[in-house]
Amino acid sequence: MKTVISFENVNFSYEKSRPVMRNVSFRIQDGEAVGLIGANGAGKSTLMKLLLGLVQGQGRITVDGVTVESANLPQVRRSLGYVLQNSDHQMFMPTVYEDMMFGPLNAMVPREEAERRVDEVLAALDIAELKHRHNHRLSGGEKRMAAIATVLAMAPSAVLMDEPTSALDPYYRRVVIRAIGAMGQTKLIAAHDLDMIWDTCQRVLLLDGGEIVADGPKESILRDKKLLEQHHMELPLRFQNV
Amino acid sequence: MNRMEAALRELGEMDDLAARSSPIHRRHAIAKLLSTVGYIAVVLSFPKYALAALTPMALWPVALFQLSGVPVSTCFRKLRYVLPLVMAVGLFNPLFDRAPLVYLGGVAVSGGVVSMVTLMVKGVLCLMASFLLMATTSIDCLCAALRTLHLPGMVVTLLLLTYRYTGVLTEELAVMTTAYHLRAPGQKGIHVSAWGSFLGQLLLRSMDRARELYDSMVLRGYHGHFHYAPVGPFTGWDGLYLALCLGVFALVRLVDVTGWLGGLLVR
Amino acid sequence: MHMADALLSPAVAAVMYASSGTTAGISIHQLKKENNPAQLPTMAVGAALVFAGQMINYTIPGTGSSGHICGGMLLSALLGPQAGFLSMIVILAIQCLFFADGGLMALGANVWNMAFYGCFVGYYLIWRPILRSHWFGDGARAVRLRIIAASVIGCVVTLQLGAFSVVLETSLSGITELPFGAFVALMQPIHLAIGLVEGAVTAAVLCFVYSARPELVREADAAGVSAKGSVKSVVAVLTAVTVLVGGGLSLLASSNPDGLEWALFGNAESGYSENMGLDEEAYGVESAVADKAASLQEGTAFLPDYAFPDSESAAGTTVSGLVGAAMVAIVAAAVCVIGGAYRRKHS
Repeated sequence: MKTVISFENVNFSYEKSRPVMRNVSFRIQDGEAVGLIGANGAGKSTLMKLLLGLVQGQGRITVDGVTVESANLPQVRRSLGYVLQNSDHQMFMPTVYEDMMFGPLNAMVPREEAERRVDEVLAALDIAELKHRHNHRLSGGEKRMAAIATVLAMAPSAVLMDEPTSALDPYYRRVVIRAIGAMGQTKLIAAHDLDMIWDTCQRVLLLDGGEIVADGPKESILRDKKLLEQHHMELPLRFQNV
Repeated sequence: MNRMEAALRELGEMDDLAARSSPIHRRHAIAKLLSTVGYIAVVLSFPKYALAALTPMALWPVALFQLSGVPVSTCFRKLRYVLPLVMAVGLFNPLFDRAPLVYLGGVAVSGGVVSMVTLMVKGVLCLMASFLLMATTSIDCLCAALRTLHLPGMVVTLLLLTYRYTGVLTEELAVMTTAYHLRAPGQKGIHVSAWGSFLGQLLLRSMDRARELYDSMVLRGYHGHFHYAPVGPFTGWDGLYLALCLGVFALVRLVDVTGWLGGLLVR
Repeated sequence: MHMADALLSPAVAAVMYASSGTTAGISIHQLKKENNPAQLPTMAVGAALVFAGQMINYTIPGTGSSGHICGGMLLSALLGPQAGFLSMIVILAIQCLFFADGGLMALGANVWNMAFYGCFVGYYLIWRPILRSHWFGDGARAVRLRIIAASVIGCVVTLQLGAFSVVLETSLSGITELPFGAFVALMQPIHLAIGLVEGAVTAAVLCFVYSARPELVREADAAGVSAKGSVKSVVAVLTAVTVLVGGGLSLLASSNPDGLEWALFGNAESGYSENMGLDEEAYGVESAVADKAASLQEGTAFLPDYAFPDSESAAGTTVSGLVGAAMVAIVAAAVCVIGGAYRRKHS
């Protein structure tokens, strides 16, 4: 098994006195789907930012064997696709098509090849009808699917997602969960929607106060009521007897 | 509906119109842009008393409305911004320019009245021309045309990005305004105690938003250059359209078509 | 203060396009030298914010009316003059293209009147010198007072310059018969009132930003950094504007948000007349192009410009003009009928 993402003793703080990431170490293997859970402010977004090289901390982070540091950033970022929580921030081009082309063209992929990729991704996600739509005219659900498409068009080896199902209606939540399930890439998904994590991931990392307090198969963490409540979380709805 | 919501509707309306299909919509944006600019320039170049000679210029927007199927009513709602000002400036002309210029059935009409009406007609014609341009051309096609015409890439990209976020921020501000007025019923505007913080809060959030937007660009390999969809070719039809438009404008400007038409009947 | 196309002659519009275009070119050049790729999204979001923010009505205490923010000063204080200028261009372009607020041909003039003065004059001659000075002493409170002073003075001065330019451009275009002096006398005081209000609102927003994130406000912590002849230049600009505004003009408070409109309507109502002591002949400037166009017209058209036609032939040409116009109307109606039939067939 090839390691795609690894964190070794990573520490980080915005202000010296308040560490946001404390001694974080884990590895993610090729093809794994990992859920990143934790209460608000636990450090989920910071962990993603460290991985993407948007902020720099201490310790060693590698992606596909390449260390995340300023000299390697273009290479690291070509391997990673990041789906932002707010699709409006992600989709800055006029149309879905141009947004999807943005990444590949910047990576010097020839236009024909990029076009082919765009069509493939649109077909795989079953959203071909969105291709020439204007970004500012999409519904919330369509926007989220299109944002996922812009990332997949870059053919990343790993996909990071920040709350991919937030603020979606039940229908589009289903659509997005199905799309995530169908993606073959390594996945790291940060979310509060534990039912979605249950549906899409095999392994779960539980963060609290910038530390990884649990790391294991979803069955052992997402069904452990005591563990979850200890860290200000609740069982997935499907396991709650209400 | 507050002002921001009204503005959003107006933006959406223009988008919908531009997304329609017609022989005019299909013309290349460069042809439409240049013919519009030519039209406005010619209209503005008519002297202040040349009301009669100006009238044939109205045929172009009329024909365009017909060919494109764009509703005239939408256009006339937009007159509310332009017309008051133009009318106000024009209203002085009858006061200061009282010399009779023409006689209509024995009634003397002063030069000021003619120039006032001419000014208003010019205002309406120019507005219709630029409205028709935007109602038949999407912003990305227009920006592609501007790039082809060698406008600096930075300005064109800025225009597209700003247009994209105009909708996002206007919507956010519309919600904030509604929220404000729900808690401050009876207030017409923002109270002085919230002058700084109301927009200031959004401003701070927007700067974070800009940061995140930049991150999302960098993560997808941005290094100072935007790639846009290639523009369709400038066809012979586009060339013909542009040449025909400019030719007709020049003809109407140089030859008094109205006088000639009238001369056919009246001697 | 958005000017419509009809208020400008093609020559004046072209000159204003050239001036604004050159300034934009220089700004782009300077921004490229700075090479800050994160600037572009910030400019776009800033421009979108100001576009939306200009729609907010701020209640002016003690009156029933409302004011707005001044985009030029706000953007240049946050983004710097060059980036602020380009952002303002984009805002004005969107207002013109999608809302018909200001015209396509008048865009160059509108950019000059609202963006150039607000960003460059406002920043280099007012904002920066004041913030770098030691006015009001030291400490955060002093900075806040300097921000307020710079915003208010900046808005007043730049609006005065903008309003004066509107008058100048309209007069040079030969659009209005209103004597230049009288036009100025009406525009300036109203924009003085608007400038004070816009300055106050803009100051409030900038003070809030300064207290929350001081690093976002340009020159906020630059007190004492030498700016050559700083306060002197402020005084110079202020003097120039006072001269413009002066001439015994009284302060007029406006209840109407748009001073230009008010100026013109207000004037019409009060029956303004020539006895302002300003001679129309001396101030009513005519553009060369208008003159040339007029002589061209005289050769070809039936209404010789400026000449008073003798009644006999005038009656004749008027009739042919009216008949011609009627025929144009018939052609227009025919176009509509044919167009309607065409669309019915194809829908």
